[in-house]
Amino acid sequence: MEQKRWNTGGELLVATALILAVAACSAVVFLQLNYQWNWGVMTKYWRVFLMGLGLTVLISLGALVVSLVVGVTLAAAQLSGSVVLRWSARAYVELVRGTPLLVQLLIGYFVVAQALGLDNEFFIGVVLLSVFAGAYLAEILRGGVASVSASQIEAARAVGFDRAQIFRFVTAPQALRRVLPAMTGQFVSLVKDSSLLSVIGIQEFTYQAQVANAATFNSLEGFIPLALGYLILTLPMGGVAAWMERRLRYED
Amino acid sequence: MKRSAFFLPLVALAACLGLVACSDKPAGVEPLVVGMDLTYPPFETKDTNGNPFGVSVDMVTALSDHLGRPVEIKPMAFNGLIAALKTDSIDLVLSSMTANDERRKSIDFSDPYVRTGLSILAGNSSGVKSAADLDQPGRRLAVQIGTTGEMYAREHINNAKLVSFDKTQACVMEVVNKRADAFLFDQLSVYKFSQRNPDTTVGLLEPFQEEFWAFGIRKGNDELRAEVNDFLAAFGTAGGFENLAETHLAEEKAMLESMGIPFLFVTKQSSQPTQSKQPSP
Repeated sequence: MEQKRWNTGGELLVATALILAVAACSAVVFLQLNYQWNWGVMTKYWRVFLMGLGLTVLISLGALVVSLVVGVTLAAAQLSGSVVLRWSARAYVELVRGTPLLVQLLIGYFVVAQALGLDNEFFIGVVLLSVFAGAYLAEILRGGVASVSASQIEAARAVGFDRAQIFRFVTAPQALRRVLPAMTGQFVSLVKDSSLLSVIGIQEFTYQAQVANAATFNSLEGFIPLALGYLILTLPMGGVAAWMERRLRYED
Repeated sequence: MKRSAFFLPLVALAACLGLVACSDKPAGVEPLVVGMDLTYPPFETKDTNGNPFGVSVDMVTALSDHLGRPVEIKPMAFNGLIAALKTDSIDLVLSSMTANDERRKSIDFSDPYVRTGLSILAGNSSGVKSAADLDQPGRRLAVQIGTTGEMYAREHINNAKLVSFDKTQACVMEVVNKRADAFLFDQLSVYKFSQRNPDTTVGLLEPFQEEFWAFGIRKGNDELRAEVNDFLAAFGTAGGFENLAETHLAEEKAMLESMGIPFLFVTKQSSQPTQSKQPSP
């Protein structure tokens, strides 16, 4: 007991020192900057920021669901018995993971969306982001399923489980638990990657922050609320993931 | 139970996606779609409610009245405008775009409506006093990708080092932070940025290269080009540009006139001569 209290005090001390050090470093860095901040005129543009944040939330939510569908489909294809399906999924994953998102967005918007006659920015944003994030999710999911050892599958088969039962009762619960942290990371990335949609004129959060910056002839002010806004979106995702991990925990 | 509760939001979302995707086009006359980069005040920007606002927005409204056809403003990044025009995403560009030979290779332009020029946003301590000081060894010059400042620099700057950025703000910060000696950009913006950062920058407003702004039009779309030229002539004759100057550019106009630099709007069209109220050189 005594020991633990001392530890807590020590930890508190270290934490305080850390916070002070970070604050001091930030202060030094920002004071180096010879730039006159001008927040007054910026605050008038809160509606513009809010509109952008709203679209980013919608696109992220949509892409979260659609990319999961894409990811599950691709992972299933890669684990399937069909050679054609496996190779197609493999090719998709390599193509999407191996090229920059920026290039995918530009081609997806100016070439593909144009050819298909699409001009709804929400729809285009969701699809392009899902195509990208789906490839990463597929790999995470496939890795999770592959991580369940063959001996467990053989044991399950030995006691008479069929394929569906093995997946439902042996593979899936363990895989799900293992892929959760990586999937959370991917979804957090997805939210932030949506900022690149600004390059194709989708008026999400980053685009609107740039508009507000430009309208006020400011250079940096708009990026601070931008960073805070993304944090507000991504921090709860970590919380939800931690809660789900606790729910799915077994064996301890 | 659990499973259906999980899938319900999925289905709802898919339905939403489908609806949104299909509900794009209202029936009726096809609107004329005008591409603009809304990060260029006071010409193309947004008001505090997030609606498109500025000189070009007012011009588009007047164009809509002139043609008797609805017009839709499509916001996009400046360096995506020409691609959008060429791929039919938009019908017109009105985004303070300089009509120059390099761009003429890929698109057509209307008659010019603004005469302005390239100026210099110089660092206070950079020692840059005029365009003659730019092309020297050891200098770092900032330019924005896809702008005439960049085109000029690529052609004429041989000794100084160039740094190119996607965003205007980044170029300004380079000068504020003294990492670049100067930023080559258009006159009015240079004036605004020098006002905004008076401790670190100075605006050298005398243009070292004259430029004309015009509507960008898809190559071969001569019918629309004739209509736009017609509109520009009528708008100029009716004093439309004077009204715009009064509404959006009063401060800039006074500043330029006090320096003896002729003000922006071209009211004397080469193809449609109308009497100019501004002195033109």
